[in-house]
Amino acid sequence: MKKSFLSVFLCISVLGTFAIAKDYPAKPVSMIVAYSPGGGTDTAARVVSKYVKPYLKQRLVIKNKPGAGGQIGFTSLSTANNDGYTIGFINIPSIFLVKELRKNVKYNISDFETIANIQLDPVVLAVKADSPFKTFADFLEAAKKRTLNIGGDGPQSNNQLQLLIAQDKIGFKTNFVPYNGSGPSITATLGGQIDASVPSATSASNHVNNGRLRVLAVFADKPYEYLPGVPTISQASGVNVPSIGAALRGIAAPKNISATQKKFLENAFGNMMKDKEFLLYAKKTNLPLQYMNSIEFDTYLKKTQKEIKRYMHLLK
Amino acid sequence: MFENILTGLYTLADGMMLFSIAAGVIGGVIVGILPGLTSTMAIALLIPLTFNLPPHIGLAMLGGIYVASTYSGSISAILLNIPGTPASVATALDGNPMSKKGESNRAIVLSTFASCIGGIASVFALLLIAPPLAEFSLKFGSYEYFLLALFGVTVIASLSVGAIEKGFISGALGLLLSTIGFHPLTGFTRFTNDIPSLYDGIPLVVSLIGLFSIPEVISMLSTNSNIKDETQIKQQNNFAKFFPEILQQKMNILRSSIIGIIVGIIPGVGSSIGGFIAYDAAKKYSKKPEEFGKGSPDGIVASETANNAVTGGTLIPLLTLGIPGNPVTAVFLGGIMIHGLKPGAELFTVNSDITYGFILSLFISNLLFVPIGFLIAKYFIKITLIPYSILAPIILCLAVIGSYSIRGSTDDIIIMLFVGILGYVLNFFQVPRAPLILGLVLGTMAESELARSLSLSHGSVSDFFIHLVTRPISLVILLLCAYALYRGFTQHKKHNKG
Repeated sequence: MKKSFLSVFLCISVLGTFAIAKDYPAKPVSMIVAYSPGGGTDTAARVVSKYVKPYLKQRLVIKNKPGAGGQIGFTSLSTANNDGYTIGFINIPSIFLVKELRKNVKYNISDFETIANIQLDPVVLAVKADSPFKTFADFLEAAKKRTLNIGGDGPQSNNQLQLLIAQDKIGFKTNFVPYNGSGPSITATLGGQIDASVPSATSASNHVNNGRLRVLAVFADKPYEYLPGVPTISQASGVNVPSIGAALRGIAAPKNISATQKKFLENAFGNMMKDKEFLLYAKKTNLPLQYMNSIEFDTYLKKTQKEIKRYMHLLK
Repeated sequence: MFENILTGLYTLADGMMLFSIAAGVIGGVIVGILPGLTSTMAIALLIPLTFNLPPHIGLAMLGGIYVASTYSGSISAILLNIPGTPASVATALDGNPMSKKGESNRAIVLSTFASCIGGIASVFALLLIAPPLAEFSLKFGSYEYFLLALFGVTVIASLSVGAIEKGFISGALGLLLSTIGFHPLTGFTRFTNDIPSLYDGIPLVVSLIGLFSIPEVISMLSTNSNIKDETQIKQQNNFAKFFPEILQQKMNILRSSIIGIIVGIIPGVGSSIGGFIAYDAAKKYSKKPEEFGKGSPDGIVASETANNAVTGGTLIPLLTLGIPGNPVTAVFLGGIMIHGLKPGAELFTVNSDITYGFILSLFISNLLFVPIGFLIAKYFIKITLIPYSILAPIILCLAVIGSYSIRGSTDDIIIMLFVGILGYVLNFFQVPRAPLILGLVLGTMAESELARSLSLSHGSVSDFFIHLVTRPISLVILLLCAYALYRGFTQHKKHNKG
């Protein structure tokens, strides 16, 4: 028994040393996910891990580092070895919100190197199917007469930020009630405990298909593909509302990863996003894909960072 | 209905399906026994594997893990006084004293059959009356949750063996510990010292491991030896002998099943609370309440029936509405969606073969953990023969590995050891530890739901109270709280006189 352990250990360490010399990647790549196993981000990461395998030519191993709203996972990615064998699944704008709202956050946005964006999950405004609010206009009219209770993931989440930006731009007020995630806020909406909620589009779409929930507007620049017929907030209100509350899920690496490795990873994820089977699967499971290559993703990141700073005072 | 059940049976009659149920149940029993390995984790880690399997087979395996691990937490609770899962904390209260009297087998038989019956009752509810129950679950808002948490606090008295005051100390400590971390509504951090690992509070499973494992390790190491006569165990190695006893518990089982199912369908309440409430109810209705905490069969049966009845209950809002009620079912939801299935009406019409196949597979899982549980328990029972000098380090290792693996964080090992020392001090002064776990679970719920209710009433305290008495379910729970308090006082008076 001892011997076999020793030989396994030796094998691993020998493989480890050769790995650097051989073609990249010579061993499985691990991906840090800053949320618990089974959550939305984790499930998305596991789907990616399955479909990227043929292009990565190695396994992509998920490492969950949950806690403190992503702070623990993001910090762990920022300090990870930049040998190309540790990457991470990051969430925008959570990564900014954590940084801006807390003291003692050890990472900087410049600690990350963008690889590719995979998903874009906008915030939506949802009401119960039998709610008197048939359109956004109905909702706005009521909101101007009395203080509506609006539930959503929170506190200090991208959902709350998106609602506050919309209120600021359009000019209305509500009472935001934080729930322990988009799911519980939808449950409260279905039960008529609140007037409306601002969940993520992915968590709302199934309930819309079930005929229990109605989405009045999507906080995005273009309509949401799995909620046909629902207007964007700008279409519904006639006011231009920035959609920086939308949650992006993308791949990043610790900074100063070698250029060839970065290129390889970018190609691997880029090819996955064109994979027919993956696209078919995404459609079947209503995954909102939004590919951005490393430069586009980086540009989006920088732009959002600036905008978030402008609206941060709303959350504080 | 019948057609659907027939299609479900057709799905079930597949060798692969039965194999995956058995694999799930065996895995679940092992995961449940080991403190620190939770069914949530096991299911989350298995979902990528089930990804490549047909959905009904994958779901059946996950279901097997879920029900079997909920049951088997009681085995370690009984034999070692270390609950394998939060759901079996109440089982330890009587299971371990019974085991210490040399009746380990009796305790295991009671817990196994009680779990099986509770589980099956809840699957019947899932199969036959899921839609109305799901509608009922939506009626629960923050006001109801807050009162439910208050009602849970009244259970503390029942969990206190000996002095009630000590139970309150322990419960209050739990409530206090639950305030560590973010305030649920403002995000303000409390008692965290800017350590990110504490932002989400003390993880329940980590504190469970610390609170129960560490004191056990210390007390094992401080006793001389436990070399027992093996014949003593062999003599009573006859599980079937105790079966008739379960039949005397009809009312208890019925009551606990109903409590478990109701607690299960309310999103966000969970199996440990189900076990606690049923335990409390069993004690109040028992002819021999003084035996509770000293090895009462009623206590074991109540807690175990209820916590397995919760499992079917939690699947009701999950399958009919797509609403997960606890961490396990949240992971389950991911496991359903990953196959492109959509919880809700579609699951019962378009995909009825998969759904009914899965529901029927839960009957098999609930039955199957009986022989598998007995088989594993037969060997596990010998653990009590291992010298403490060997057993204690093993338990310590498992405690460290378990607390690390929850979030992959070394900080959690330190938290576990801290809570462990606290547990030892409590144990030393004979303060019961179960109320602390209850306080920890309820504290977060009571605080966030109170804050949320106040926010929903726009900060008006009078509106808040009006809502409490005008919402029907809220009024019922309020009356239950009042009744529990009244009974508590009268019993305490009687006790003092006697």
